[in-house]
Amino acid sequence: MNPRFRSAVLPPAIAVVFSVMLCSIVLAISGANVPRTLGVMVAQVGKDTTAVDIVNSAAVYYLAAVAVAIGFQMNLFNIGVEGQYRVAGIVAAVVGGGIALPPVLHPLLIIVAAMFTGAAWALIPALLKAYRGVHEVISTIMMNAIALGVTAYLLRVDVFGEQRGNNVSTHTIPDSGTVGGFGFGSGGTVFGLLLLSVVVGVGYWMLLNRTRFGFELIASGQSPTAAAAGGINAKRMIVSTMLISGAIAGLISLPEILGRDHQFSLTFTAGYGFTGIAVALLGRNHPGGIAFGALLWAFLDRSGLALDNIGVPREIVTIMQGAIVLSVVVAYEAVRRMDLAAEKAEVGEVVAQ
Amino acid sequence: MRRLRGLLAIPLLLLSLTACVKDDPNAISRIGKGAACTRNSPPAAPPSSSSTTTSAEPVSAPNMRVGLAYDIGGRGDTSFNDLAAAGIDRAKAELGVTDVRELSAAAGESPSAQVARLRGMALEGFNPIVAVGFAYTDGIKQVSKEFPNVKFGLVDSVVEAPNVSSLIFAEEQGSFFAGVMAAYKSRSCHVGFIGGVDIPLIHKFEAGFVQGAKAVAPGIQIERKYLSPAGDTRGFNDPGKGNEATRGQIDAGADVIYHGAGASAKGIFDAAKAGGALGIGCDADQYQQPTLAGVKDIIIGSALKKVDVAVFDFIRAVALGKTADLPKVFDLRNDGVGYSASGGKINDMIPVLEAYKAQIVSGKLTVSQQPTR
Amino acid sequence: MTAAAVVLHRITKAYPGVVANNEVSLKVERGEVHALCGENGAGKSTLMKILYGMVQPDSGEIEVGGSPVDFRTPADAIRAGIGMVHQHFMLADNLTVLENVVLGAEDIAGIGRAARGRLQQLITETGLTVEPTLLAAELGVAERQRVEILKVLYRGAKIIILDEPTAVLVPQEVEELFATIEDMRDSGYTFVFISHKLDEVRAIADRITVLRRGKVVGSVATDKVTNAELAEAMVGSELPSPTLRGGEPGERVVLQLEALSLRSPGDDGTGVPLLDGISLRIRSGEIVGIAGVEGNGQTELVETIMGMRQSTAGRLILGGHDMSGATTRELREAGIGFVPEDRIRHGLLPEQPLWMNRLLGHQTDEALAGGQWLDIDAIKRDTEQLVRDYDVRTPDIEVLAGALSGGNQQKLIIGRELAGEPQLLVAAHPTRGVDVGAQAFLWEQIRQARDAGLGVLLVSADLDELIGLSDTIKVMFCGRILAEADPSTVTPEELGVAMTGAILAASTEDDSTDHLAHAHRYADARGGNRRGGQR
Repeated sequence: MNPRFRSAVLPPAIAVVFSVMLCSIVLAISGANVPRTLGVMVAQVGKDTTAVDIVNSAAVYYLAAVAVAIGFQMNLFNIGVEGQYRVAGIVAAVVGGGIALPPVLHPLLIIVAAMFTGAAWALIPALLKAYRGVHEVISTIMMNAIALGVTAYLLRVDVFGEQRGNNVSTHTIPDSGTVGGFGFGSGGTVFGLLLLSVVVGVGYWMLLNRTRFGFELIASGQSPTAAAAGGINAKRMIVSTMLISGAIAGLISLPEILGRDHQFSLTFTAGYGFTGIAVALLGRNHPGGIAFGALLWAFLDRSGLALDNIGVPREIVTIMQGAIVLSVVVAYEAVRRMDLAAEKAEVGEVVAQ
Repeated sequence: MRRLRGLLAIPLLLLSLTACVKDDPNAISRIGKGAACTRNSPPAAPPSSSSTTTSAEPVSAPNMRVGLAYDIGGRGDTSFNDLAAAGIDRAKAELGVTDVRELSAAAGESPSAQVARLRGMALEGFNPIVAVGFAYTDGIKQVSKEFPNVKFGLVDSVVEAPNVSSLIFAEEQGSFFAGVMAAYKSRSCHVGFIGGVDIPLIHKFEAGFVQGAKAVAPGIQIERKYLSPAGDTRGFNDPGKGNEATRGQIDAGADVIYHGAGASAKGIFDAAKAGGALGIGCDADQYQQPTLAGVKDIIIGSALKKVDVAVFDFIRAVALGKTADLPKVFDLRNDGVGYSASGGKINDMIPVLEAYKAQIVSGKLTVSQQPTR
Repeated sequence: MTAAAVVLHRITKAYPGVVANNEVSLKVERGEVHALCGENGAGKSTLMKILYGMVQPDSGEIEVGGSPVDFRTPADAIRAGIGMVHQHFMLADNLTVLENVVLGAEDIAGIGRAARGRLQQLITETGLTVEPTLLAAELGVAERQRVEILKVLYRGAKIIILDEPTAVLVPQEVEELFATIEDMRDSGYTFVFISHKLDEVRAIADRITVLRRGKVVGSVATDKVTNAELAEAMVGSELPSPTLRGGEPGERVVLQLEALSLRSPGDDGTGVPLLDGISLRIRSGEIVGIAGVEGNGQTELVETIMGMRQSTAGRLILGGHDMSGATTRELREAGIGFVPEDRIRHGLLPEQPLWMNRLLGHQTDEALAGGQWLDIDAIKRDTEQLVRDYDVRTPDIEVLAGALSGGNQQKLIIGRELAGEPQLLVAAHPTRGVDVGAQAFLWEQIRQARDAGLGVLLVSADLDELIGLSDTIKVMFCGRILAEADPSTVTPEELGVAMTGAILAASTEDDSTDHLAHAHRYADARGGNRRGGQR
């Protein structure tokens, strides 16, 4: 096997196996039937709309994880993805529900509005970090709290909200602004904006591997000192990276808003920003790795629902997710060290010849 | 700072005094600890003896398979979900129901998980299925269409479909009593309301409370505070924040605190006890709740939202095939909301509360769903 | 005559691509202060890590007190009475001095009264005064160092290795430390003192061993050696292969510095500047060497020219354009190649393949990238070429840069920096820590580029390298250019003397300030800087 491929694939495989084993032990201790439990989870994929739900969730997780991963590339810990996508979500819904445009143009404008809002929300911590040295973890956590307040304000009935029973939502986005899906009959409907995740994935790969900015991003992350000596302006990198991260964070809620909900309401799903951190760690910030991580995470989330039906606590899935992230991090580090040592030995042989 | 606040309070107090006096010349006034509160006399209407009119016709449904989808927290949240659980338990006891599947929502899950949960139960043959909480609205809307032969009960929200019974409540009517109790028991003519999350559902609690308090003492001062903004559901489960907010209200002068904050109640009552204030429970009879046993001595009563009754009535109606007979709104008239006076601290007030109840039931007094400022 | 405290016999330790210690033998007598000198990368640290059991040698023997030992871990060394005080302190801030000392050595005297008594006794005996009940967080740098020494003494050490102990101290603190060391020596302790500061070494050591490129150059009694001889021994005395001068330098001035000054960030203008009015010019085809003992402003000079620090006064004129205040990228684009002093931290991305490293610092080069788009094929082709031309020993260009040996890393860097055909190359210690073969190769490359019209600023601590390569040499001392030398006539000895602050006959300045006093203030300014960073 190609050693580089091996070092990319082996760690997650070890991690998954390890965490399945760990969870099996937990399950066995709690008295559950281990093979049946795992079997039910796997079998669930074929049932009902689970397969489509997994793909839909994974599409959303993917966007969240890429938003986080871009920051990770240069050691920026953008905890603020959570707040960025929330604010972007309501702005997108308000813009989408407030204007009338022809079909293709309408969703495009909504997408641009969401990206712009997400970027704007990330700009504040970016400037604070670059010019005032405020750590982004602190400022983005603050911005998350502010985002909650801002969305609550925008959702007020006297601002952009509209009360429906006990719920409050923005005006419904007209059909011209929504994005249909790919229907699978009783199997469910895959979000049309799954394509958005694909585009972001390809774009992210291109950015990292084919652009100067991507190179500077990686260089700044791996060695700030070498980057400085190489003429890379750290402040500008911080600001640009946070802006891109925020813009992608702005996209997170769009598959759901444009493809299913058609509005932003009190029942808006929170927490994708944090899921994104876990998935980015799982995928080692790699565009392909994140896709794998997002699918795995979505599978666990969705198939985990089936555990209720056989009386196994669903929290086992949370344990499994935590164990996977932790062991992936450990396994990658171990394999990375082994590889570097092996490579040094290989170079040593060449030198000796 | 303290002095400044004192100075500010004087004109306010004067203002409220004059207002009270002007409002009702026949007011009974009473001097409390450093402040005066002018109270209107209670309505003269005699207490009515209205209660549920459901016939006592015995029902048995041992083959019924009931599915129950809780909101976040599930059975054991000592609040809303537990009341639904009590309804199920009663159905087991009285109707002989044996096969019950209870599932609960996870924090931060997406709407499609709710759909999957409801659909899963429907596919397995559970009928009826009860969903607790308005977060299930869209899920019920979708799944009820897919399973037209399954009966769905939806607590706290309305879905217009032939096989869906919307179980909604007149929370403002129950909370009105909390307002009356608070206004009578406040020595400083200053009470407080703490809402869990700043959303329309909780605004109804606030509206009833404020209207009830002002009905008794038009000049009363009312503190209002929501623990988290709309969209952030943590306020329903944050005793720490509840504690802090309550201390703030007590510092501002309030001495009776009512809440609509779910599992944050523990912190609210702890702070009330520590600050020498009184508390009023919400939804369930919180004086009786084991988790609040340590602070029950300051709980003077509770505003009831009888989710248990609604869930039980719904299951019973399904067994009887009479879901169309379920009330549109569970309110005072059909005993869907109410008050409890467990603990005996407000026994003297029961005639007053009953008088207000009669007025509301008769339609002489309408309780608003929108809080007045 | 009693047995020597420590004898190291023919110790060899090789890392991939570099031999850190090559048959090193060393003898430390009981009750002496033995200094181990050498430039960075000479192998001092590796040798001491071997003595302290942190690293196992490939071959060679160690004797302590006359009996052979085999240290697998530092715990073995401690049991044999050897203790090491590292340059970077390892104290837990939230524990008291006593707790820090006792931590991990609870079996000696428990943690209670007996432990306190033992520590107090050590303090009294050695004069390492520090209050045992203070929290480590409340201690100053010198006190922290004393605690570190007490830690090893508490564990029973009689032989104490001090790794660059004065690097973090101000002059007064150095004097105090030295007084303590002398007292302790007189009461029987043995010290191995690692340093590259000649004055200090001569002030404290009884005997000096000089390491250079992993080998022992010599071992002498302190009173039998001069500063200049020491400097020369450290940086080498054998002249490199005869220089092939490719004609006279051209007329075009590529770099002109006019009274360039730099103050440390916290300086309000009253302190001693890190760079004080540096003026020099480099013509095309000319190598200007900068000599000086480390820490006299050479690093600051390089970083200021490269735009990594912003000068506080003066002008920088590159190829006729005033580029004072320009960014690193602007300077690089204007044609400066840069070989940094610390190649791992400043010159490479160790976890990226060679071809990615080729791009570093040249990402705006039109041959490699069109605007934002990288031309991966061109970069890889160019890297292949570079690897061939500069004899970088590697299986392929996908190898991670961190896997290469120091010499090959440096070849890659110099190849990369010369590839853009710059008008000026700023090279700091271009052959430090590089094996002899690679060194000769790198010198040749620099010379060829010079002959082709490149201007070079060469900062080096290796006097042979300076004399062999430079067309003119400037001596830096305390942030100033103190003297100028002609490499065709100057000897390493003369240069060594000049580096200590004495003025050469050929001096261009007849400034007769009191150099010693100035040196102290300068060390304060830099030391304060560093101490700020430590906290």
